[in-house]
Formats: sequence, structure tokens, C-alpha cells
Amino acid sequence: MTVTTVIAGSVIFLLLAIPLAVQVITAFRGPFLPFGVSSAKWSVDNFVTLWELREDFWAVLGSTAVFVGGSTIISLLMAFGLAWVTVRTDAPFRRVISVLVIVPFIVPPIVKAQAYLLMLSPESGVLNQVLRLLPGDLVVDPYAFSTMVVIQSLTNVTFPYLMIVPILTSMDGSLEESARVSGASWPQTLRRVTLPMLWPGLLGVTVLTFILGLGSLEVPLLFGQESGKDIFALKLWTLISASAGELPQYGLAAAWGCVFLVITTIAFVIYLRATRDAERRASISGKGFRPTVMKLGGWKPPVLLAVFVFTLLTAILPLFALFWSAITPYPIAFSFEALATQTHFTAFGEVLGDPEFWASLGRTLVIAGGSATIACVAATVLAYGIARGRRTVWTKAVDLFASSSVAIPAVIAGFAMFLTFMVINPVIPLAGTIAALVIAYSYRVSIAYRSGYSATLQIRKELEEAALVSGASPLEGFRKVVVPLLMPTVFAVWIQMFILGTNEFTLPAFLATPESRPLSVYMYAMINPRSAQLYAPDAGAAMALIFTLLVFLIGYGLQWAVSLVAIGRARRRSAIPGLGARPAAAPNDPPAPATRAVAAQELEEQKEFADR
Amino acid sequence: MTAAHGGGRLVVDGLEKQYELDGGAVPVVKGVSFTIEPGTFTSLLGPSGCGKTTTLRCVAGLETSNGGRITLDDQVLSTGTEHLPPDKRDVGMVFQNYAIWPHMTVFANAVFPLQVSGGKLPKKEARARAMEALELVQLDAYAHRPATALSGGQQQRLALARALAHRPRLLLLDEPLSNLDAKLRDTMRNELRSLQQRLGITALYVTHDQSEALSMSDRVAVMNQGRIVQEASPRELYYQPADRFVADFVGRVNMIPAVVRERSGAGEVLVEAFGTRLATPCPDGVALGDDVTVTYRPESVRWHETAPDRPNVLPARVVRVEFLGEIVEVEVEVLAGATVVGTLVARGAPLDSPASGSSIFVELDPNACRVLAG
Repeated sequence: MTVTTVIAGSVIFLLLAIPLAVQVITAFRGPFLPFGVSSAKWSVDNFVTLWELREDFWAVLGSTAVFVGGSTIISLLMAFGLAWVTVRTDAPFRRVISVLVIVPFIVPPIVKAQAYLLMLSPESGVLNQVLRLLPGDLVVDPYAFSTMVVIQSLTNVTFPYLMIVPILTSMDGSLEESARVSGASWPQTLRRVTLPMLWPGLLGVTVLTFILGLGSLEVPLLFGQESGKDIFALKLWTLISASAGELPQYGLAAAWGCVFLVITTIAFVIYLRATRDAERRASISGKGFRPTVMKLGGWKPPVLLAVFVFTLLTAILPLFALFWSAITPYPIAFSFEALATQTHFTAFGEVLGDPEFWASLGRTLVIAGGSATIACVAATVLAYGIARGRRTVWTKAVDLFASSSVAIPAVIAGFAMFLTFMVINPVIPLAGTIAALVIAYSYRVSIAYRSGYSATLQIRKELEEAALVSGASPLEGFRKVVVPLLMPTVFAVWIQMFILGTNEFTLPAFLATPESRPLSVYMYAMINPRSAQLYAPDAGAAMALIFTLLVFLIGYGLQWAVSLVAIGRARRRSAIPGLGARPAAAPNDPPAPATRAVAAQELEEQKEFADR
Repeated sequence: MTAAHGGGRLVVDGLEKQYELDGGAVPVVKGVSFTIEPGTFTSLLGPSGCGKTTTLRCVAGLETSNGGRITLDDQVLSTGTEHLPPDKRDVGMVFQNYAIWPHMTVFANAVFPLQVSGGKLPKKEARARAMEALELVQLDAYAHRPATALSGGQQQRLALARALAHRPRLLLLDEPLSNLDAKLRDTMRNELRSLQQRLGITALYVTHDQSEALSMSDRVAVMNQGRIVQEASPRELYYQPADRFVADFVGRVNMIPAVVRERSGAGEVLVEAFGTRLATPCPDGVALGDDVTVTYRPESVRWHETAPDRPNVLPARVVRVEFLGEIVEVEVEVLAGATVVGTLVARGAPLDSPASGSSIFVELDPNACRVLAG
């Protein structure tokens, strides 16, 4: 048991610590690679250079702060509003709304960014076409910095939404009811009770959204190059893509990476405190409850209108723009005349007949599946060992470390992994291979670790002890009790990480070669005007649509298959002849008295502890 | 069937257990010794944190003790240094929150002990035995339901069936009734006791509820701060508590501080209490002038409208009358002239309840009290 825990811990350590260490060493060892080249020596030159170019430094820092900070705030406000409408109000069509909001989540970010770019095109873009129909001279400039901030918010909004919904759902409505009964109005209750209670949870969501925004390359890459603003992610990417005849400036890029790693570390500390507070507050309640519902009354039409505009901007118009681009040979504005005369559907056929499309699709599945498996297995084993073991300084440190990948922005991870594979290439030639991508994608191991940890905590220790007292050896107990109970969580996390992997663009942007590139990178090559040979906007758009459809089918197909298996198991159980059948139930419902019993026992333990 | 069960003799001798905390070792169980005769029912009774659950878990093998011997019949379960793992101990255990495996059916839960290395049986036999155990707790009709479909009381019975399925020599129960509502608790208490007697299994029961311990047990060991303070039959425990802790923890009690003043006859003394002299039995090892505590159960304090011509009758005033259904509880202030010298709580039949505020006499029967040193 301990041995496997140690092995799993080592895997995670290697995944996270080595690349970051290589990056830090590179920052202090010369302008190019830190080892194996003549220029490598210990120095602080890179930081000196950073300081000498401080005007540039402050400009990047400033525009990154506005870009990431602004988009974080906007997407949080939107996410909170939408989550509130779907969970806590009596708005009509709440179910439909909650589905519509999640649709953008399965659209790969690079596809979203591309769709927005098409939608916003000054001449042919559908949004500007719609705006021209309205009075006033409204035209959105796609390359304005403010547009970029809004686009980034729209790209990322599903992430905070998915995290805020459970926070709102699990809030004990009786706490608000008691405020209302005490004579507080709805706004007063919101301000004095609801928000202060939700605050730690929301702070945690804010930090994670911030780190996500800082780490994603898609929007800066597609919009930023034209807008003239250097965003950190873009800066890092341009620094390592050397212009002709020059060596890429890995050292300077690494120094940049170090600066931003310090920033995210601070954010991570805030996140840790916030989640600790959130858990503490969450533990105050714990009975079964339903959140109270706010009556919208006369506010229903404006709320619905806002939701409609949101859906229009995040789903309908971008997908339409993408589709329009796929069926037109070159960018032209939508008109019925163009629809009748200029459209063709050959692009879809081209994509499906393109062997490279199928090859990169295969690579995508291998990379996403392989990395999700590595991360889930290692993280679950380690999480079980840590959650069940005695709390010592050591295990606390391991716990913190295994949770820390959420603090590493994807661009930094991609860059650090890239450096690492370059450094070890003479010994272990992995650079540019599919294996390298599998390893790199696995860096998001903390997602699996945190889920595994809380899933283990939810398996009450008595369930294992009962197996031991019943005569099961520790291994039998683990196999027959723990594994079946952990499996649903592990499957769910695997699917989540698999979808993340298929959507991934930032990591392969740093790591992939034409031989190992996944679909997202191949698609970017087709829509990027600079990649002369591959550039084919209609095929690119068609591929984006097929790509999205595939992610949707695979992701939801897997979830559906898993739930079918679960239902099947429940059916088989009740189908044993001669016994009362019971309709298929969720097989992993906690036993009826679980919460109460656990709460009572915890209380008792606290008392016992205090008595000692 | 019944014959196949039967119980072992459990001997716990000088059990010690410490928990490692940041500051060092904190002793939780400090030299606990007791013996349970085969087929009898013993309760460990005590407040939260007294070490009773830890003692039980040491017997189960879920905690490793730091000292002392635990034996079941001839088998050594644990010494201070060597410990048989729980799966080799042949015990059954019911957990406070039942620990029913939610991913299994009722039957799968019950048959588990017969499928694993500790008590593996051929498939057919295991099946028959598990169904037998489910019949014992009247759950056989629910065998193939998911375990989570059971109500709290049913889960509790399933936990019991699982603990009995492999016919262990010793049944361990860790506050199994504390999560049930009051009515169900009473029913289960009777069922559990009669099942234990029918099977003749040895049982060790942990509880903080004195009425559970008194009603179910052959012997009760009261624990406080890691030690057993008294081990006795329920009756003896109630009427002959060894010290003030036991008297106070087991049932309600009036504690009257007093000083021994004179010997008044064979085995009797007069003590000074409530500003007057009371006749009480003479406790062992008490000398004149010693401080003692005279304890009366509320039901041993009787009230009268007129003073009977017997010893230990004191004037009093009723300050509170509380109707509890089958009895009334009366709180009185004991008077010496016009001054209040103390309070007593009495319980009796509701029919001759005095009125609140009325003046009455309370009688403290010398034969119904227990005098404790200190």
C-alpha cells in the first residue's frame, strides 16, 4: 500500500517539479539551453535583460493585468448572474438555459476563438452585420484591446459558471430564510448573509479563473498579434519562436516565466485560504436542504433578454459564423444572394477526405486518453494514501504539492515541458513525440488528485474497518469496498480530463511537431493566414465544426456509456428472481443516515479530542 | 442453528492505549481490565472521551494497544507488542453508523464475511448462512435490494446480520442504537438482547446511554477518563454506586454533603446535613468527623402532608412540580425554621402529587440511601 503511494507520489513529483525546476534553472543559466551547450553558465543576465527592457516589462505586465483581470471579472459577473438565474430564481426555461450555458464548454477554446474572430470580422462578420441593422454607427473592432478582453471573458465564462452552480446549490436556504424572517429585504439578505457566506467559495473560483485566463494562449494568439498589445502568454510564445538566423531566447523567456510563476503562487495561496474557509463555512450546515427561490416577477423579461443576448453571443452567432465560413470559399458577408450562388459544401468533404485530419484526430484521442489515464491512476492512488494516512508535516506537504498544478498556467507548463524535453533529448529523445504530449497533458493531475482526495474522505473509514472485522484482509477490503466506491469518481474525472485533453491547444502549441500535432494544432494551421501552405479558411472552419461535434459525441457518449453501465448494474441486482424489484437507482447513493451520522460522529470526535 | 453459535470468554487485562499527538503521547485507556463470561452481555458505559470506544476498537483489532493482554478463549488477540490483525480475530462488529457498503445489495453485505479470507466458505454454504443471518433479523425478504434502499432501522439490523453471519464468538457493538429515533431504539434494544441470549454469543456493548446499559446488560463497566471506575450488575450499579461519578452518571441522584457525627447503633451513624442529624448506614472506613456524600435516588425520596413518626423527616416547601406522564417530579426546598438549607428532587406517583408552593414533609429512608466517602 505504502509502496504504491510512494510510486504515485513520485510520478506526480516528476510531472510537476522537474519541468518547473528546468525552467528556473534555464532562467539562471544562459541565453539558450541550460545544459549541453557552450553558452550555458550560471548568471543573472536574463533578469538583468528583463530589467533593461523594463518599459517592455511594465507594458506586458500592465496589459496582461488588464486583459486577465478584466476578463476574469467580466466572466465571473456573467457566470454568477447566469448561475443565480438557473439555480436561485423562478425564471422560465431554467433547464434550457442551464444547458445552453454549458454548450460553449464542449467547444474547444481554439475553435471558440476562431469563431469569434469570424463573427467580428469588420466586413463579413455576422455580428457587425447585425449591428449595422440597428440605428447608430455601431461597429465592433475585432482587434481593439477591449474587444479582446470581452472575447476572453466569453471564451472562459463556462468554467466559473460550472464552479459557481454547485456553490449556490449547496447553500442552505434556511440561513437566508431566517434573515428574511428577521425582517431583511432580498437585497439586504443578499448583501448581509448570502454574499458573505459565498465569499470564500467565490474567491476560490476567481483565482482559478484568473490562472486559467493567464495560461490560455488561444485568444491572445488569434487577436493579440493584430492588436499590438503584448499579453504574457503571447510574449512567451513569440520569445521562443525564433526569427530567422537567431537563437530563440529561452533564458529570457524562462525569466519571464519565473516572474509570472511568483504571481500565480501568490494567487494559489489566496486560493488555498479561500477554499479552507469555504470548507469551514460549508461544514456549518449539512442537512438536506433546497435553496430558496427568488421570485423575479416583473424582472422576468429583462432577465430572459439578457440570457438570450448571452446565448446569441456565445453560441448562436459564433457557430453561425463558423458554419458560414465553412460553406463560403473566401470571407464574404452573409446575404441571401451569396447563400444562393456562392456557397458550397465541399469543405466538409475535403476535411473528411484528408488523411492528416484522421491522423491528427487519432493522435488527439491517444494523447487525451493516455494523459487522462496516467493522471487519474497516479492521482487517485496518491490521494487515497494521503487521505487515509496520518496527518504529518510530510503528508501535508505532499498534499499541497499534488494540488499545485492548478496554480501553473498552461503556457508556463507548456514552455517548461518544452524546455525539459529539449534538455533531456540527448539522453531520452522525446522532444516533439506523442509521448511528450501525453506526459505534458498529464500535468493537470491536480484536478484528479483533488477529486480523488475528497472522494476518499467521503468513503467513511468504518466501511473499510467493517470489511476488516468481517474477516477481509486489507487488500481484499481495498479491492471489494474502496475500489468500487471510488470508481464512479475516477471515471467522471477521467472523462473530464479526456475532454480537456481533446480541447487542449496551449500545450501542443509549444510542444507539437507536424508529426505529433493533435487536431487543435492542425486546425489552427489551416486557419492561420501565416501558414502559407495549409491556409484554407473554409476547410479550417469545417474542421472546427467537425472537431466540436466529435468532442461533443465522444465526451457525452462516454458519460452516457458510464451511466448505462451503472444503471445496468442496478437492474441486474434487482432482477434476481423471486425478490422485490426496485426501479434503477443511482447505485452510489450514500446510505440514508450518512450525513447525520457523520456529523454526529464528528461532533463526538471533536468532543473526545477536547476532553483529552 | 442456535447451537452453532455460542460465545467465547473475553479477558482484557491491563489494556493501555495512547494516541500520538503533536505534543506527544496522550493516554486514552489507562490499564483497563475486565472479563466477559461466555454468552453474557457486558456494556462499557461512560461519557464521551472516556476511552470506551477505544477499548472496543482495541478488542476488534482496529487500534493497536500499547500495553496489556486481550484473550478470547485460549487465543491471544493482542499483547502490548503483538497484535492479531482484525481479520484473524473471529469477531463481529456493529458500527455506530452501521458502515453498510452502499455499492452492494443487502445480501452481498451479509455474505461478505463468508467470501473473504477470514471465513471463506463454499458458495452454496455461504449463501445459506447469509440468508440464515438475514432471517435472524427479518431482512430475508429484502435480500436483493440495494443496501441503500433500507431505512435506518433496517440498515442497523443488516449491520447486525453481517456481524453475525460468520458466527463469531464475540459480538462488538459500538453505540449501535444512537442514530435511531427513540421509539425504534426501544424496540431494537429488546430485539438485540433477546437475539444475543438466543444465540448465546458473548457481547461487548459500548454506550453513553445509561438506560441502554442498565436494561440490556448482565454486567456494566462504567468508565471515566480511561479507567473502569466500577464493574457490577445493573442493579448493584444503580443502588450501590462506588463513587460520586458513578452515582451521578448512572441515573439521577440527590447528593447531600454531610459530616459523620456519631455512631447510633449496629452499622448506623448519624450525619450532620441540612442543619440537622440524619440516620444513615455506616460506610466502610469512615471515621467520625469525616466529610461524606449521602446520595438518594429521586424515587427514594418520599413526601408526606403530615410528618410521619419515623427518622429522617424534614420540613420542606414545594417549588416545582413537573408532570412526566407515568410519574411526577417534585423539587422541594428543605427548610430549617424559615431558612432554606438545601434542595431535593423527588419522584413519585402523579395521583398524590403535592401542589406547587405547598408545605410538606420529605422522608429520607435510611435504608434507601448510599453514603459515599468525600
